[in-house]
Amino acid sequence: MFLQQLVTGISVGGIYALLATGYSLIYSLLDFSNWAHGEVAMIGAYVALVVSSSLGGMPFVLASMIGIAGAAIVSYLNERIAYRRIRHNNSPNMFLMIAAMGLSTVYQQAANLIFTGKYRQFDFRLPVSTVQIGNTYLGVLDLASLVITAVILVGLIFLINKTQFGLNVRAIASNPYAAKVLGVKVDRSVASVFLLAGGLAGVAGILYGMKYNIFPTMGNVGLKAFIASVIGGLGSVPGAIVGAIVLGVIETLVSAYVSSSLRDFFSFALLIVLLLVKPSGLFGVDVQDKA
Amino acid sequence: MKKFVSFLLASVMVVSLAACGGNGTSATQGTAGGGSGESKAAGGDSDTIKIGYISDLTGSTSLWGQAGLNGALLAVEDVNEAGGVLGKKIEVVPMDGKGEPADSVSAYKKLVDENGIVASIGTNFSSCNIPMASVADEKHVPILGTATSNEQITIDENGNLHPYSFRMCFIDSFQGTVIGNYAAKDLGYKSAAILTVAGNTYSEGVGEFIIDSFEENGGKVVSQEQCQDADTDFRAQLSNMNKQNPDVLFIVMTDYSKIALVATQARELGMKCQFMGTDGWDSGELAKAANGALEGSYYLSRIGFNSEEAAAFGERYQEVYNIALEGECLFGYDGVMWVVDAIKRADSADPEKVRDALESTDTFKGLIGTLVMDSATHNPAMDCAIYKCEGDAFKFHEIIKYEDLQ
Repeated sequence: MFLQQLVTGISVGGIYALLATGYSLIYSLLDFSNWAHGEVAMIGAYVALVVSSSLGGMPFVLASMIGIAGAAIVSYLNERIAYRRIRHNNSPNMFLMIAAMGLSTVYQQAANLIFTGKYRQFDFRLPVSTVQIGNTYLGVLDLASLVITAVILVGLIFLINKTQFGLNVRAIASNPYAAKVLGVKVDRSVASVFLLAGGLAGVAGILYGMKYNIFPTMGNVGLKAFIASVIGGLGSVPGAIVGAIVLGVIETLVSAYVSSSLRDFFSFALLIVLLLVKPSGLFGVDVQDKA
Repeated sequence: MKKFVSFLLASVMVVSLAACGGNGTSATQGTAGGGSGESKAAGGDSDTIKIGYISDLTGSTSLWGQAGLNGALLAVEDVNEAGGVLGKKIEVVPMDGKGEPADSVSAYKKLVDENGIVASIGTNFSSCNIPMASVADEKHVPILGTATSNEQITIDENGNLHPYSFRMCFIDSFQGTVIGNYAAKDLGYKSAAILTVAGNTYSEGVGEFIIDSFEENGGKVVSQEQCQDADTDFRAQLSNMNKQNPDVLFIVMTDYSKIALVATQARELGMKCQFMGTDGWDSGELAKAANGALEGSYYLSRIGFNSEEAAAFGERYQEVYNIALEGECLFGYDGVMWVVDAIKRADSADPEKVRDALESTDTFKGLIGTLVMDSATHNPAMDCAIYKCEGDAFKFHEIIKYEDLQ
């Protein structure tokens, strides 16, 4: 029974993890919380939905790829059109966060206008079936999404730690000026990170859409991802993954053993306690001015 | 010459004025400006009996409003062809309430003050009929809500009856009772789990009555869980329920996509129990969205077009109007028929006497099934229908007769 709740919690946390890593990546580079990140996931889901339903015979995997690409492009455009300009103006980081909030609202409202608030589903459906291990059940879709998430996250950690691109990113995260002086193309790396984070968000959006539904406010799950990345330590990719799983498990256990009404109360209380006791999170380096 | 003409005109006017004073009713028929004078007296003296119809006739929900009106007009046709009532023809006066409380109240006032109606049918919104009920108590002209299920349509927040407010649908408590009853008695389930939405009046209200009647009939509710309105993942609650291994899970929600999620997640957690639901399940998309997880599940709702009479009416309706069927047209038709029935029994078209006759209705047999009046609450007991999920759609399963519920 407890094991079942644990498994459920991990599967909930898996979706948070895909979003939380994107938060953390962008945070590590630019020191601001990209509030539009959840909406990028939402856009990815809608792009896949429109492509797969309007172009009838298209395989769902291909439609998903287009959805992920769509999310990546929107994420890139956010940086190219809004954030880069603010950075180059040497404005405070607060401006980036406000711009992100604005974008988030605009995307949500636009989705509401175009698609209405109706809950939608992909035409592509895995049959409702489940894998039983002892007394514990795991849905086939859940299993698939956990595997996809795990593969992507392992790839991401490899990318950050073992490649030239990862080295550049880490250099900028450590000190953007020094990195620039040493020949790292800062703008290009930042843009790549936005593409990457957008793609991850797209995957999260599509998996979320398959598991639950697609709707304009689904991007609000980004808030949970933000909490996850704070728990893990803002700016740390492995931290974000661990934080997401921890949050997913806590939420599920609270819903199961306390009350679903208190679930969000516990999530946010955890956030506040953590900020008071260990502001750097589980894996983070000491940080200040983290909005 | 000019002087002569003006004298002539003046004398004609004097004569006609005198005629007006002498015999008001006949003169007003000739003068265009006298329209309002005529209609004031219409309820009592004219040769037609007027029944109001209020709904959204122009806005986003006018699909239902127009359907109700169309149904009411067919009823007028039938009544008048059969010779009318009390030797008079009847007439339905439609008034647009736009589905808004304020507009609906003023539509009702206008119908009473200017058109002299004996009763008003509509609206199909609880939000509109709650304020209308108070106004009806002042105006002393009865209103008949159609798909208005809120308790406060007929009983105000202090527990007092609105004497002039009636309704034609079952309320939440009735529905909950019938579902609990059906699950325990007809389907023979012994243990049940129930999932409701925290803070949602409909969900918590119906849920309470399901639990009560299920336990009264010998069942046991082994697990009660709640979720939040915006939730999409119900596995924590479902795992708790699964531990108790219930025979049936009542899912008391109104959003078909959420109901489908509950069902699929329950099956993924290995739950084998039956699912049952309320009229909140009434959506053409539910079975498809659940992707097979709801196979064999039941829910309770109105009969709709599933009785012989209603099906025949549906065919006639489509022949006449050539538009898609909406359940609201049955309410429109039955509303007129119920008022006519009350006029006959009262032997009067006086609104207050019609009210008394409506209240003392024993049973009214209409297209919506048999309606049994409770004069203390104005909340009818009525026939309901059970629907069962077969493949990609819910199919009509059976009618629960009100007699069987006694």
